[in-house]
Amino acid sequence: MPDPGVVVIFGASGDLTSRKLVPALYELASQRRLPMEIAVVGLSRTEMSHEEFRKKLRETLEEHVSGGVSDDVWDSFAGGIFYLPGDSKKPETYEELKGFLKKLDEERGTQGNRAFYLSTSPSLVPTIVERLGEAGMNEGENGGWSRLVIEKPFGRDLGSAKELNEEIRRHFDEGQIYRIDHYLGKETVQNILALRFANGIFEPIWNQHYVDHVQITVAEDIGVGTRGAFYEEAGALRDIVQNHVMQVLCLTAMEPPVSFDAESLREEKVKVLKAVRPIPDEEADDYAVRGQYTRGWVFGEEVIGYREEENVDPDSVTETFVGLRLFVDNWRWAGVPFFLRAGKRMPKKATEVAIQFHSSPHTPFAHDDTEGLEPNVLVVRVQPEEGLSLKIGAKVPGSGFEVSSVNMDLLYGTAFLEEAPDAYQRLLLDLMLGDPTLFIRADEAEGAWRILDPVMRHWARKKEVSPYPAGTWGPEDADALLERDGREWRRP
Amino acid sequence: MIGEARQSPGGGAMSVAEIEHELGKLRANDDGTLALRSSVLNLIVVTDEDSAPDVTRAVSNLAGRHPARAIVLISDPDGERNVDVRISAFCNVRGGGAQVCAEQITVHAEGPPANHLESLAGPLLLPDLPVFLWYPGAFSPLSPEFAAMADLADRVVVDSAAREDREETLREMAAMVGEKEMPAVGDLQWVGLSPWRSLLADAFGSPERSDELEKIESVEILYAPGGECRALLLLGWLASTLGWSPENATRDGSHRRVEFSGPSGKVSAELSPDSPDARLRRVRLRSPGYSFQVSRHRERAEVRTTVLRGEDLAAERTVRLGSFDLGVLVGEELRYRGCDEAYEAALRTAVEVLDL
Repeated sequence: MPDPGVVVIFGASGDLTSRKLVPALYELASQRRLPMEIAVVGLSRTEMSHEEFRKKLRETLEEHVSGGVSDDVWDSFAGGIFYLPGDSKKPETYEELKGFLKKLDEERGTQGNRAFYLSTSPSLVPTIVERLGEAGMNEGENGGWSRLVIEKPFGRDLGSAKELNEEIRRHFDEGQIYRIDHYLGKETVQNILALRFANGIFEPIWNQHYVDHVQITVAEDIGVGTRGAFYEEAGALRDIVQNHVMQVLCLTAMEPPVSFDAESLREEKVKVLKAVRPIPDEEADDYAVRGQYTRGWVFGEEVIGYREEENVDPDSVTETFVGLRLFVDNWRWAGVPFFLRAGKRMPKKATEVAIQFHSSPHTPFAHDDTEGLEPNVLVVRVQPEEGLSLKIGAKVPGSGFEVSSVNMDLLYGTAFLEEAPDAYQRLLLDLMLGDPTLFIRADEAEGAWRILDPVMRHWARKKEVSPYPAGTWGPEDADALLERDGREWRRP
Repeated sequence: MIGEARQSPGGGAMSVAEIEHELGKLRANDDGTLALRSSVLNLIVVTDEDSAPDVTRAVSNLAGRHPARAIVLISDPDGERNVDVRISAFCNVRGGGAQVCAEQITVHAEGPPANHLESLAGPLLLPDLPVFLWYPGAFSPLSPEFAAMADLADRVVVDSAAREDREETLREMAAMVGEKEMPAVGDLQWVGLSPWRSLLADAFGSPERSDELEKIESVEILYAPGGECRALLLLGWLASTLGWSPENATRDGSHRRVEFSGPSGKVSAELSPDSPDARLRRVRLRSPGYSFQVSRHRERAEVRTTVLRGEDLAAERTVRLGSFDLGVLVGEELRYRGCDEAYEAALRTAVEVLDL
């Protein structure tokens, strides 16, 4: 059970608060995983009373928690929800906040512990951090703790991420900083670690001796919807690849950590990022491809192209698809290409890691008998329906010795016997417990940017983006990226 | 077969994630354990409302021998816009209680989505496994809709006799087979010929008769009205295998005469419609010294092979023809992955004959 404390949410009138943060805290409270003395303080510029804020959150709660909302549970939880209107740029706001939090310590017994959740526009982050520092809130009251949660995107490139880290560290120690990537809070993503390190049979073959190549896919079937303005600034590389895809790469490629404590695990992830072969600026096209969806059909529905979306420049070259070809130059992975792709408006929502093994060195069967037989592939599927599948060659029943591929598919039982908790529940609980294992360390964020910086520089100069019809697996260039190595993309 | 059919209660409009979730639930046994799914292929079927029951029956009969994910698309482009999904699984208990489940997703697509079936089928395919695309009924090999579907597939299985204008179908299919982008093509009319082809080949099996293959002078094929595709493909097969090139053709109604030039002179062929009880009734090949005949029994699914040297019976045998049930034919096609070069050559020659 975590210590009592206050979660202060900056940007509380935003979507994330009502969609993710408050539902996750509500669920945690209802499952008795938070102490009674927990409090939530929302802060943003909108004028609202405590009661109005609670009412607003209650209205949308049902949509975001599974299994219904109990009024009694809500009422007792909502008693600890408060709201402060204020401009996060102004020092007065922080004086007021400080006083309010002290009052909560006395009235609700929150023991001087504070977690500041920055759910604001990235540009406000340095100011808020500075103001918190000036107001002395970078330390808890009376020996309590003070923690800072920062949402992605963490910077826009290597330079800005470094700058941001420096600014934050002027007021907070690394141990107080929780950079959140909700992907790491997903049970299913953590299961990559379980598969690798809780099973003895996979690790011995998890290297260049046995693995031909690795494909990581993070595909969404949705378009940018109402997030056009945000997406124009971000693009798939910053929105998905720098954080989620790179994290999945780290978990797939890392060495076994000595223990699962925060520093051991994060140390190994950073080593992977450091081992990724730098992409030379002038050869960026050989390593990275960007695409943008055009009008097309997705699961029986006609959808518009990216340039037709709301708040999107009709000549935009923002990428909605990224394909990467990376090499992890270390003892384990020498010569094994890692193909990564992420995109919107793909045929379906799918996240998976596919390990393709070398073909068998010699087949004693006649060629005709092994038609349709392909190398073994182990797929760790994060979605849809979390599970594991293995493609193996098997004898076709009959008098000859025909061999063909069979796909053995195992679903992790928890996928439907018990709804997996939302990633934010896990991460908010870890935050309150002070466990940063599943949060991003400064050097991880910088390491991921370092890999992608040359690509971003190249794309900033290049004025075109390859189109792909919505409902397809990306532009033709993406296929060419693999063809040069004699491989092809899987159909997830 | 020991097994149980499981039906998902839901239906209606569903997302891919919901469909996968429901299929996952169908794999859960009453005791809380989960059935392992082991599949060997994806089967997409494109059909219409009228044929759907027969097709679905054929597909579920395939489940035992070819554990698959079947996606049955019932298409009605003229209807009011609607997409409706039904889900079922057939779980087959093998020794020790281990289970293997075959899954079926039936999608009714009406209105515009019916013209973009690829967008419905693509996301539902199982990864890593070959995709077979089956058109049990009429299809247009050269249409963009067909091309989009074929793009998903490793092998397309069609019935060249399904459309009224069979000659045009054969022409379009020959054009399709010639395209590089097209997956391998299988034709149920061709599968139906396979016992005939092997029986004919057997007739020339003995060393003293194998030389006769080069001396064939005439071919007679009797077929049922409607069995013309099969007859033409059989003739195409003989010609392409034995090195005959079509020279000229005449027709009188549905009666056809074709002249070929073979390695040792002219070969004349005659294709004539016969009684409707069997798609192929009889095939007879003659060389100067021999007559080789394979003919089907009027009532029973049996065929008799006879070899006459002059007037004497040199060899004779009667065998069962086997089942020509739809499921069996399709099942045969699902065993192959790559291109069937013999079929493609037969098809091309058949079209050359049509175009004379």
